[in-house]
Amino acid sequence: MAKVECSHCKLEFNDTVMIEKSSSSGEQLYFCCKGCEGVYELLNSQGLDSFYERLGSNKLEPAEITKNDDLERFDLDGFSKKYVKSTKDGFKEINLIIEGIHCSACVWLNERVLHRTDGVIEANINYSNNKAKVVWDESEIKLSKIIETIRAIGYNAFPYDPAIQEEKAKALRNDYYARILVGVFTSMNIMWIAIAQYTGYFTGILQSHKNILNIAEFILATPALFYSGWVFFRGAYYGLKNRFINMDFLVATGALLAYLYSIYAMVTQTGDVYFDSVTMIITFVLVGKYLEVLSKKRAADTLDKIMGSTPTEVTMVTGNSKELVPIEGVLVGATLELKSGEKVVIDGKITKGKVMVDLSALTGESKPIVKSIGDELLSGSIVLDSVIEYKTTKDLHSSLLHTINELLSEAVTKKPKIEQLANEVSGYFSITILLLAIATFIGWLAFGYGFERSLIVAISVIVIACPCALGLATPMATLVGVSKLAKDGILFKESSKIETVAKTTLIALDKTGTITEGKPKVVDFKEYEGFDVALAYTLALLSNHPISRGVKEFLENRFGKQKVIDFSETKELQAKGVVARLNDKVLLGGNLELIKSSNIEFSYNSNNSLYIFAIDSKVVATFELKDVIKENAKEFISSVHKLGLKVLMLTGDNEAVALEIAKEVGIDEVKANLLPQDKAQLIDNYHSNGEIVVMVGDGINDSIALAKSDIAIAMGSGADVAVDISDVVVLNDSLTTLQRAFKISKKVFRTIKQNLGFSLGYNLVVLPLAIMGYVNPLVAALAMSLSSLVVVGNSFRINRS
Amino acid sequence: MSENIIVLMIGISTFLGALGLWALLWGLKSGQFDDQEKFLDGARFDGEDELQDALMMESKKQEALKRKREREKNYMPGD
Repeated sequence: MAKVECSHCKLEFNDTVMIEKSSSSGEQLYFCCKGCEGVYELLNSQGLDSFYERLGSNKLEPAEITKNDDLERFDLDGFSKKYVKSTKDGFKEINLIIEGIHCSACVWLNERVLHRTDGVIEANINYSNNKAKVVWDESEIKLSKIIETIRAIGYNAFPYDPAIQEEKAKALRNDYYARILVGVFTSMNIMWIAIAQYTGYFTGILQSHKNILNIAEFILATPALFYSGWVFFRGAYYGLKNRFINMDFLVATGALLAYLYSIYAMVTQTGDVYFDSVTMIITFVLVGKYLEVLSKKRAADTLDKIMGSTPTEVTMVTGNSKELVPIEGVLVGATLELKSGEKVVIDGKITKGKVMVDLSALTGESKPIVKSIGDELLSGSIVLDSVIEYKTTKDLHSSLLHTINELLSEAVTKKPKIEQLANEVSGYFSITILLLAIATFIGWLAFGYGFERSLIVAISVIVIACPCALGLATPMATLVGVSKLAKDGILFKESSKIETVAKTTLIALDKTGTITEGKPKVVDFKEYEGFDVALAYTLALLSNHPISRGVKEFLENRFGKQKVIDFSETKELQAKGVVARLNDKVLLGGNLELIKSSNIEFSYNSNNSLYIFAIDSKVVATFELKDVIKENAKEFISSVHKLGLKVLMLTGDNEAVALEIAKEVGIDEVKANLLPQDKAQLIDNYHSNGEIVVMVGDGINDSIALAKSDIAIAMGSGADVAVDISDVVVLNDSLTTLQRAFKISKKVFRTIKQNLGFSLGYNLVVLPLAIMGYVNPLVAALAMSLSSLVVVGNSFRINRS
Repeated sequence: MSENIIVLMIGISTFLGALGLWALLWGLKSGQFDDQEKFLDGARFDGEDELQDALMMESKKQEALKRKREREKNYMPGD
């Protein structure tokens, strides 16, 4: 069996499973699936085949044939009210997230195809976040047609509402960018003028030359202070309004006083100007603030993704008629219809039909659950097979899914606790420094040194309070720590979180996907006479049930990818398995119940999930599946215990299973049967007990708890949402790596403490000198560089471990 | 050294720098840096096809606008 490359997606498969074709130019083509074949032909017929040249060595995902039965929702009123805007030329505009974009060639292809579609006025795709802006003429094309076009080339698009968060965050980021650019530009230019000034200070300079340099610095410092520094004035103002002196106030007063004095010195031609300090203070602190803004934007991107996948319309059944109504208008007691693949948006009780639902978004359990008449249907679950009707018991705003979204946006937009604490500390620091400066000023005046000298000393006290060493102590150590951690496969999204990890007192672990693999795996396989791999493989492919998927994966690993056989008739039986017909053979694949109900004599004893494959009333193979515990789980737990941390296991699964696994890995505290908000509530409870909580999880169902915890750690293979929302991502999923994360974090935290101790000591020495007026520019510059070097050197020691 | 020379040197160099800064700010405002990848691809995918495509989009927009205006002009409210 030779491996060949699929002509569209460039993935390699065995040639036996490929669809072979020859192109019009006689070239031999291979496709891994119908989807890829369709897209390839479409691109060739449209003359877009240069896409494959642009693709280079990139690989795509196989193009799936998407069902287009939900297209009509894109043209409904409720949908357009929510997502579609009108441009000033009278065209329509929508923001979409496009799925499946891997490389710049994908962006090129999507844009090109949209451009060629009649009625599309503008299509612009952002590569880094896969967001697209499309403008179209409503009289020529419908939105559903545009979505269909994108799907036809193997991608998928869903809408998002940029008004929620993203647009604002982007505008804020660009605003900061502009201010930083101005700040950097002015400080760089002032620096080289300042060199001339300093040289003049030591070697002597003509007053006329000095005046020119002063005026040049003044011109540069003015935009820096009032444009770049505007953020601090605003921050100081809001702080004062709430009776709170913050770091912004300190920066603003220090810079403004220095600026005003410098103007005075420039006009009266006496003394030195301090315009260089003004711009540099503003620029440095502004860059720090900008980093904060960046992390907020990332969180906003995540929210858009979750909200975008929520349907805007549901099918309401009144009497004999069915109509699509916007979800906001559904009242309690209305009857709604759901088809397979649809997501439940409003909670209710089933009135007609029996169905399998996927609750993984809520409980994290991948096993679908059967619900029949009278059973409660929670929003957020996905209907898997048949069509059902249900009566709503709540309206949209009190439904579970909506509550989750609300909680999530609340948790993402404000992460309280630590930030508050940081503000408080810097508030005290600011007041102390300010009081010190005022006292210095008054003291110097009282001793009869004159206004000018007193002011300069006071300003130097304020300015020296933001020295490099103190500023570098934390970021330098965390920077070295973060890059060291990244080398080991642990990504910290925000470096300041290392400190919190080091201070953790409690670790909450999700069961599925964190302690266990999260996917049922075949642990035992028996084959009997008459077993046929290709048949078993095709049968397993028919269902999306995790058990079937586990079997399929096992067969692929053991026997390689198989040729798919065309069955003449297939049927999926709820909670039992799959029945298929090939010529006159009857094939069965499913659990023991399926075998029994087909009147086959067979018994099997096992605590694990079972998948039995039978041909014509004869069992030919059995598979035992189990959600296996990750390797090293036990070592990880015991090492964490050694560090003196409490370990807690949270799961949406039932208690018996949870306890068994907890016992096996050595966890003593277990909370089972939890819904997503229960997990979050638990974390809140621990918070109020003063614990610092690390939450480790991987599913959508963990996301609120992740957002609520002090530190959220996601396993790399987890759901996108969980990965996006967390502060730390463990790339290789291994618990040993997670253990390293704790170890290195502790080390970084120790280094930070050393650095802070040193620079505080330095401050204690320098600040009194400044107050006494001994700080000569040259001495200050030397001392500062030396103290910074000590801090940097100490930080690099983290790497040696 | 005369003061004039110093003024001239500082003035011209700062002005040139400020021009660059202005251009950068303009680029930022008009969204040119929103997507770094695309910024670079702009240079990579710069051929006849792309020019044709841009021209096509431009004329398509003009036509759509023209049709729209005509429709509005010919629109007669029923009485």
